[in-house]
Amino acid sequence: MFFKASFLCLAFLATPILQATSPLVEKHCVECHDADTKKGNLDLTALSFDLKDSANRERWIRSHDRIEKSEMPPKAEDMPAADRATLVKMLDAALYEADHAEVLAHGRGPLRRLNRDEYEQNLRDILHLPDLDIRDILPEDREGFRFNKTTSMLDMSRVQLTAYLDAAEAALRAAMVSEKAPPEVIKKHIVGTDLFPGTGTFGNRESMFFARDNKFIDWDKKKDKEAVKAAATDETIEMALFRSASWPYLGTPKGFVAKRAGHYKLRFSARAVLQQPGFTLTPAKQPVPMTFRTRKPAGVDIINEVHAEGGVIDIQPEKQVYETTIRMREGEAFEYSLLGLPMPLAMNPNGSAPSYRYPPFPEGGQPGVAVQWLEIEGPLPPESWPPPSHHVLFDELGIDVKPANVKEDAKRLLRRFVKLAAREPVSEEDLKTFDALIQQRLDKGAAFSEAMLAGYKAFLASGDFIYLREPDSANDQFAVASRLSHFLTNSRPDERLLDLAEKKQLRDAKILREEATRLIASDGFERFVKNFTDYWLNLRQIRRDDPDIRLFPEYRFDEYLVESMERETRTFFTAMIRENFPASVLVKSDFVFANDRLAKHYDLPPITGSVVRKVSLPADSPFGGLLTQGAILKVSANGTTTSPVVRGAWVMERLIGKPPPAPPASVPAVEPDIRGAKTIRDLLALHTKEKSCAGCHAKFDPVGLALENFDILGGWRTRYRGVEEGERITGIDRAGHDFSYTLATNVDPRGKLIDGREFKNVNDLKAILAADPRQLARNLLHQFTVYATGTPVRYSDRREIESLLDACAKDGYRVRDLMLSLVQSSIFLGKP
Amino acid sequence: MNAPHIAKSLSRRRFLQSAGVTLALPLLEYMTPVFGRAAQAKAPRRLLIISNNLGFLPKPFFPKTAGRDYELTQTLTPLSNVRGELSIFSGMSHPDVNGGHSAENCFLTAARGPTKSGFRNQISLDQFAVEKLGQLTRFPTLNLGVNIDKANRSLSWTRDGVLLPAEDSAPALFRRMFVQGDPEAVKKQLNRLDERGSILDTLMDHTKKLSRDLGSDDRSRLDQYLTSVREVEERLLTAREWELKAKPVTSVPEPEDIRDKKLIFDKLDLMLRMAQLAFESDSTRVITLMVDAFATPAFKIHDGEDTTEGYHGLSHHGQAPEKVKQLEHADREQMVILGKLIQSLASKREDGARLLDRTMVLFGSNMGDANKHDNTNLPIILAGGGLKHGQHHAFKTDNNAPLCNLFVTLLQQLGVETNAFGSSTGALAVL
Repeated sequence: MFFKASFLCLAFLATPILQATSPLVEKHCVECHDADTKKGNLDLTALSFDLKDSANRERWIRSHDRIEKSEMPPKAEDMPAADRATLVKMLDAALYEADHAEVLAHGRGPLRRLNRDEYEQNLRDILHLPDLDIRDILPEDREGFRFNKTTSMLDMSRVQLTAYLDAAEAALRAAMVSEKAPPEVIKKHIVGTDLFPGTGTFGNRESMFFARDNKFIDWDKKKDKEAVKAAATDETIEMALFRSASWPYLGTPKGFVAKRAGHYKLRFSARAVLQQPGFTLTPAKQPVPMTFRTRKPAGVDIINEVHAEGGVIDIQPEKQVYETTIRMREGEAFEYSLLGLPMPLAMNPNGSAPSYRYPPFPEGGQPGVAVQWLEIEGPLPPESWPPPSHHVLFDELGIDVKPANVKEDAKRLLRRFVKLAAREPVSEEDLKTFDALIQQRLDKGAAFSEAMLAGYKAFLASGDFIYLREPDSANDQFAVASRLSHFLTNSRPDERLLDLAEKKQLRDAKILREEATRLIASDGFERFVKNFTDYWLNLRQIRRDDPDIRLFPEYRFDEYLVESMERETRTFFTAMIRENFPASVLVKSDFVFANDRLAKHYDLPPITGSVVRKVSLPADSPFGGLLTQGAILKVSANGTTTSPVVRGAWVMERLIGKPPPAPPASVPAVEPDIRGAKTIRDLLALHTKEKSCAGCHAKFDPVGLALENFDILGGWRTRYRGVEEGERITGIDRAGHDFSYTLATNVDPRGKLIDGREFKNVNDLKAILAADPRQLARNLLHQFTVYATGTPVRYSDRREIESLLDACAKDGYRVRDLMLSLVQSSIFLGKP
Repeated sequence: MNAPHIAKSLSRRRFLQSAGVTLALPLLEYMTPVFGRAAQAKAPRRLLIISNNLGFLPKPFFPKTAGRDYELTQTLTPLSNVRGELSIFSGMSHPDVNGGHSAENCFLTAARGPTKSGFRNQISLDQFAVEKLGQLTRFPTLNLGVNIDKANRSLSWTRDGVLLPAEDSAPALFRRMFVQGDPEAVKKQLNRLDERGSILDTLMDHTKKLSRDLGSDDRSRLDQYLTSVREVEERLLTAREWELKAKPVTSVPEPEDIRDKKLIFDKLDLMLRMAQLAFESDSTRVITLMVDAFATPAFKIHDGEDTTEGYHGLSHHGQAPEKVKQLEHADREQMVILGKLIQSLASKREDGARLLDRTMVLFGSNMGDANKHDNTNLPIILAGGGLKHGQHHAFKTDNNAPLCNLFVTLLQQLGVETNAFGSSTGALAVL
């Protein structure tokens, strides 16, 4: 004991203030956390109190936090409140001092390189090429603290640097043109049998037929090639399509392939119809959503890249003309894609030729779209020629890039390009290194344009361009401009921001607030929404698990539902900020954002149309709030079963901001029982009986239990489904397959939080969670901080976070307020 | 090791051709040692991956029991004399790689959901290996094909999901390996390398200036950058050396091409011999070969037996006995060819070691059961490479092990320091 004490003193000696805490630590902690017992692998007698060392500091921060939360010592009553307060206060002071000193000396974090999304967007903006596609040339960025913007994870390597050079090269090549005029615009007006590759399709007549006067035309019987050919100009014919063209994927106008990449305008006349038995058409009662998809026609059976283009169009029952613009890559065709309609799956028992089985018609008929004609025009020419991208590179030197004076023009163009591309002024000294490169290429006989591109490439791969830096002084304007724009638009600062930085006005509180508000309202903010929710809420993996069709046949191939869920959550999150909702909407709101499909999914009164809009909820609805959105419940489940453990931990970490400790390595996951015999609660009971497990699981399992009423896609359920035990349900699913599952045990959503509060269902839980909006707001600030600065909230940031929360408290912690307050803090703006 | 040798052998071949003599390609024995190899301390490790995109009939392929004492099945019988040199795997697949034929794009990438909207392919095993290993040979990889449509079929994909075209002409491949390139093309490539070198020099200068007035954390970030610049420069030098170096010389004459798609297995045999030649001359260490059975019309199985219809049609046999029988024969014929390759690699020596022990050969498919368009339970055979062989490793048929776990093992055996690839959950411990 004497030895231990003296050792402890030695470790503590470095910081006099800690000598005072030594007896308290000795008294309450060392019994378990010494060299012999080393509980939780922590030996305080050997842990140095040199807080300059970040690993030590982390360890002590964790100790501080657990003591503060009364988690340590394990029996809270073992430490008198006064001792606890003293110890927490002393540790806090020392930790703050050490961390703050480091921030003052080195800044909150080091340089961070652009991730691949940012690099691509920077180049798109610089080169005026909104469709530039170079992101995938760069390796996928590693994640840290859930985001792809975390400094410590964004390393540089040989592979990475080569990829930056390759990506810059590809971008510059895409920006440069050599043809005298823009590609010829192709115009086509398509009617009749040219609207589809053949008169029938794999999916048989139920999938598609040509009709005249609402009745199908029986080409099969006629087998008359001449008649079909003649019908290619017959404007009285409609092409009626009933199934998603996703498979068989041949629903394209006959023989059209984009010879040149670009945007193509599509105009078409169509109406929504219902197919009746005997292949006749009646007008639809509801609009039918459709979109276009582009892909290379690579054979009937193989698809590679497919892109939805031109947005979702609600085709109305009355004949109308629609117009949209789609982007086509070279060699692509486009196909009609009816969203929300099931595609029949080919059945080829024992490998016989495929046949299709359709489910019985829905009451009233099978919805579909009838197209009368379609016009294609494209590639749409740029506003000028050479296009603006070429101008960025070569100013007025034209297609041939013929300089009047090679040396002078090289220097001038380089300066011009760097001014357009750089995020802050570049010194003349630095410019000269690039001048030298261009000159060297010219001396070696390179063409003028090639030499210039070499110089540009070098700049776009240089440290100046690739790295974002921490604001380094109280007057550093440009780093703030870049931080703000990469935070809110995932790209470089626009002209206005750079202008304000130049004038040294950007750090003015009022202007900064105005600028942040302006960016939040801008189109570029959609990139923030997408990227932030892709990572924070893992929306990028919303299609990771397909629903298990044994248990959930109603979700078979329901891409429209998944797509709608994704839009719901992104729309909701956008509104959280733009409409400045209180932070409590993370868990609770009296409205949802829904469209026709989601209204059905959430058991709301029917609405029409694919557009996601705000819909009020009945008082007792379990929906409302991010917590119970389909997308959230889908990404926190797998395709077959839900797990309260996984969902609970997911919600506690991401929405509540109380991440559970990492699971012990040796314990396997609970294996779900899909026979239907055992509930997840039974299975978990085994798991949490153990005292060593229960301590942690009590922190997050209960939240997951309350969510058990939501199935793998967030649909409401009161009973689990199985395949063996329980009441058998059979039928034919939306794609024509027989299904058979059982309704097994009842869902029991009751639970008790670790603090003892009980809930009977998810609405009780929501009320409990919403009662602590400060924690929800704190979590948002933490998430915004790591996303915006690349460095998570540091110990010495905590006080400022609390003061930001104080400032936002009176208005109920509104989300945009939180965001704007962060932007104005020294966490964002750099050391004071 | 210079041009005259080549010229001589070429003219000899032309002479023989013009004299109307048909050249049978002899076994490739008298290879000139390749430069540079002696200098390399580590023994070269090689990998050949072959995929038939329609796979094999599962029943006659997979052994009934696992372990060392498995009984060779009907399809595998031709491998009896090399059974100790290879392992059979069952119960493996790529998670979420389904969609029938579309899965063939993912055999070496494991990119999930090839038929889903927004799908984009990922980096394939061979390209991943090369990215890590750097250019050890003239060709970082060779991608080959049999009966492929060049624009649309290959096992090899870049990181951004772009197909790397496969070579389907044996003579063209031969010329790439052994005939000096067109001086203009070499000059162009050298020029490209030179430009990149100059850019890197500029970046080096520029960054050094930048780092003068930075704090320690920032400086260490820039050090990372500078190290990267230096490493890329080193690799450029290597690439440049390869560009300048004369190609190896072979006594083997240029082969005749086989263009008749009907002769799919003759072509497979020829391309495998070319692959072996590439390894023997150390022209590359990694080769992929896609056998596009899907695009193959009625074909010759072996002398005296032709199929009655195209390969794809046959694959949807619907258990029709006459179709199943043809497929059984076709499957077995491929095992004959594989067995021949394994024996040939085993008979070759390199620095005293068997070439087979330095060469992993994987023969498999993206298709578990083409009749049903099933992409699970893929047929996989792995031979050579100095691994522990002789067993049938059976994983669960209803809950497959990720094929990428085997890929990680292959990568590690190649010398790539990684413990993850694609959808792997770890390396396969059984080898």
